[in-house]
Amino acid sequence: MSSALRMAAFAAAGVIVFLLPGWVGGVYGAFAVIAIMATAAYGLDIVVSDLGEVSLAHTVFFAAGAYATGLLATRLGAGSWVTLGAALAAGTIIALALGLVTLKLREFVFSLVTYAATVVAAAVAHNWDLLGGSDGVSGIPTLDLSIGSLQLAATNDAGLWPYAFILLLITLYAVRQFRRSRLGAMAMMVHLNPRLATMSGIDVRKVRLGVFVLSSTFSAAAGWLYAYQRAYIGPDLFETYFLVLMLTAVVLVGRRRLLAPLIGTALIVGQERFLSFGGEVNAIILGGALVVALAILPGGFDALLRRLVARPAVQAPAPETRPVPQP
Amino acid sequence: MNLVQQLINGMVLGHAYALIAIGWTVLLGVARLVNFGHGQIYMLAAFVTWWAVAGLGLPYPAAILVAMLAGVLIGLIMQAAMLRLTFAQDLVSIMIVTLGFGHMMRGIAGLVFGGHPQVLETPLSWIDFEIAGAWVTAQDLAIILVAILFFALLHFVLERGALGRTARMVAEDPKLAQLAGIDVRRVYFAVFAFEGAAVALAASLVAPRTPILTSIGFEEVIVTFVVVVLGGIGSVAGSYVAGLGLGIFTALFGGFVSPAYATTAAFGVLIVVLVLRPSGLALGAGRGAR
Amino acid sequence: MTRPVLEARDLRVAYGGNVALDIPHLAIAPGELVGVVGANGAGKSTLVNALLGWSRGAPRVSGSVRLDGEEIGGLPPHSRVRQGLTLVPEGGAVFMRLTVADNIAAASAPASSGRRGHDEEEVYALFPRLRERLHHAASALSGGERQMLAIARALRLGPRVLLLDEPSIGLAPRLVADVLRTVRGLVDENLSVLLVEQNVRAAIEVVDRLILLERGHILAQGPAAAMRDDPRILAAYLGEAVA
Repeated sequence: MSSALRMAAFAAAGVIVFLLPGWVGGVYGAFAVIAIMATAAYGLDIVVSDLGEVSLAHTVFFAAGAYATGLLATRLGAGSWVTLGAALAAGTIIALALGLVTLKLREFVFSLVTYAATVVAAAVAHNWDLLGGSDGVSGIPTLDLSIGSLQLAATNDAGLWPYAFILLLITLYAVRQFRRSRLGAMAMMVHLNPRLATMSGIDVRKVRLGVFVLSSTFSAAAGWLYAYQRAYIGPDLFETYFLVLMLTAVVLVGRRRLLAPLIGTALIVGQERFLSFGGEVNAIILGGALVVALAILPGGFDALLRRLVARPAVQAPAPETRPVPQP
Repeated sequence: MNLVQQLINGMVLGHAYALIAIGWTVLLGVARLVNFGHGQIYMLAAFVTWWAVAGLGLPYPAAILVAMLAGVLIGLIMQAAMLRLTFAQDLVSIMIVTLGFGHMMRGIAGLVFGGHPQVLETPLSWIDFEIAGAWVTAQDLAIILVAILFFALLHFVLERGALGRTARMVAEDPKLAQLAGIDVRRVYFAVFAFEGAAVALAASLVAPRTPILTSIGFEEVIVTFVVVVLGGIGSVAGSYVAGLGLGIFTALFGGFVSPAYATTAAFGVLIVVLVLRPSGLALGAGRGAR
Repeated sequence: MTRPVLEARDLRVAYGGNVALDIPHLAIAPGELVGVVGANGAGKSTLVNALLGWSRGAPRVSGSVRLDGEEIGGLPPHSRVRQGLTLVPEGGAVFMRLTVADNIAAASAPASSGRRGHDEEEVYALFPRLRERLHHAASALSGGERQMLAIARALRLGPRVLLLDEPSIGLAPRLVADVLRTVRGLVDENLSVLLVEQNVRAAIEVVDRLILLERGHILAQGPAAAMRDDPRILAAYLGEAVA
């Protein structure tokens, strides 16, 4: 397919997705949440898929964006552009601090420390009155990005959907560009062979820190819009639900595929909104999806699909073939 | 409250912490596995104990056994799902999968036991004593006693004898252990069953101290990390000391500084330790170098 | 001919879609020392690992393996070990964190098998060096000592057939001869051994029969004396000596 054709197909798909919530009965809220959570998941995705580390602190960046927005908008009456800047700054600063602290940590210990950071952040959010304590912050005004006489405001989910959609598009574009950038290439090298990367003159720590901080901006921006969408924020943002949601979205469909986290998020949030069996069963489904994606279908649906498609190409196995009794 | 009271309080808390963490200690020490669903097994086991007493009318000791059985079952199911990851020693994936299991267990608990907080009243919690101005219940004493017995037994079994040697062989190199005729898969199942039973035992003893909700368990996981890491990975004696130390620290910090931030402070200590000494947690450093 | 103690048929190993090993038939007679030689990547280690169904990777293994006439091809590795098929993998794998004494004590023939492994005294008589290092951690041993310890462990398990994967790798030439002579001695006491060896010249001195592997296939096999003059062996391994 030529690149022009691809672009056209992509644009057509974009337009269809944009119009879809209106066609299927005005389900703007669900679509906005999918776009927002997918954006948050993309932050985690570039750390997991490109850097090869599993961060469990991206809910903190998400919450930092939401808290900065909620607090500034309610306490100081800040406008949506200001809160966007503050949300990005909050996410970036926390990511920078955490990134510096975890610079030398790898794999399991890295994950453990990022999880610890999430736990500490949750405890702080629960107990610090300045952040609203366990009640959180309610009464967040609606999104208003008006510049001068240009009216850019969203008073309800239908109004918010275009902004969520644009945020998602920007995110998709940014992730795509990141993967083609020098930083993205270096991240892959650091992921696949840190020693070789060092010998190629790459500053491994700088790359790790750079990608980690960059990834936080996506999640923080998602938190920014989420605060407006929900009009309330609280320590529930640190609950395992959001963490498990992001992780599942990232691993469910496949690694390092541009649309995978979006499809993953859409499947999860879509199930919760349109095929809900109640909170408890939804939790079982979500947790189960994560278990299945990693323990039973490594590589996600994508890999499963490839295996199914690839099967006929493999020559018929000799009779009595059996796997080595594991291991 | 005075210092002595807080110290006694910390002793009880410390033994509770050590008991809550011991399953993880063995999990990590023998099988180099982690379980982020640890807290949710605690939560489910607390509910099962409550249900066995209040619903089935079983005596408390029998209810403890029922809970432990449930713990074993959960452990076996989890290990069955993760066998491939276990053999690959893919700790990060195991960590995420167990998080997923934890999320599932919360859903299951909500479905089966409902969203209402339950209080488990044991015959032991009615008996109390005054020691140096501090009130402790027979339940508290039972926690201390069981923890000490459990640790002594485990220490004896793991530090000497053929079972401990098998454990150390599997911990060092599971593939090589197969060549010594060891059924590594069975060891893994046994270890995860033990993890489930141990945390269930802890839950059935400790949970009566607080209301039982589907949201409990989070704190227990945190406590477990701290105990396991500070105690030295896989060290039974170290876990006991770390559990006790953490309990006393929490009681003192909670009594004299801020109860709300007690666990957070302990966790802050953990982060500092991990960041300063990541090698302390370098699991299978040799094999990790892929 | 007596019934082979170990016999494999249609043994195939594949990694992904690539066939790494394809052996139609292989047999070892009781009390026989069979050498397996070949270039790097010829499938020597793959062969011994496949006989045990053991691997650090994840290959697919198919085919039949019989030990004393009994099919063991479907058993997991630890069961095959208990049945009496024992492997000393490449690099003299021992438990580094255990002491020499613990390494030795941890291995013993299962009581139910009716086989008797070497007892601790016999092992130390065979490798006196180990007795001197009894309470050292295995990580403190030299390469040669580790190899001895690995073989000692295997003997403790009471093997009917011992699979030895490059016991001489990384050892000084004098030690190579020592290790191979020890192996020969065990065979003379009626143990059956399949010996993977890179050092063809040293191997051909001790083995009864030699198998030459190339790219996962048996290229040539025969009695050691005959193989010594086989042009393929000469060309590939002993060339300079003859020339």
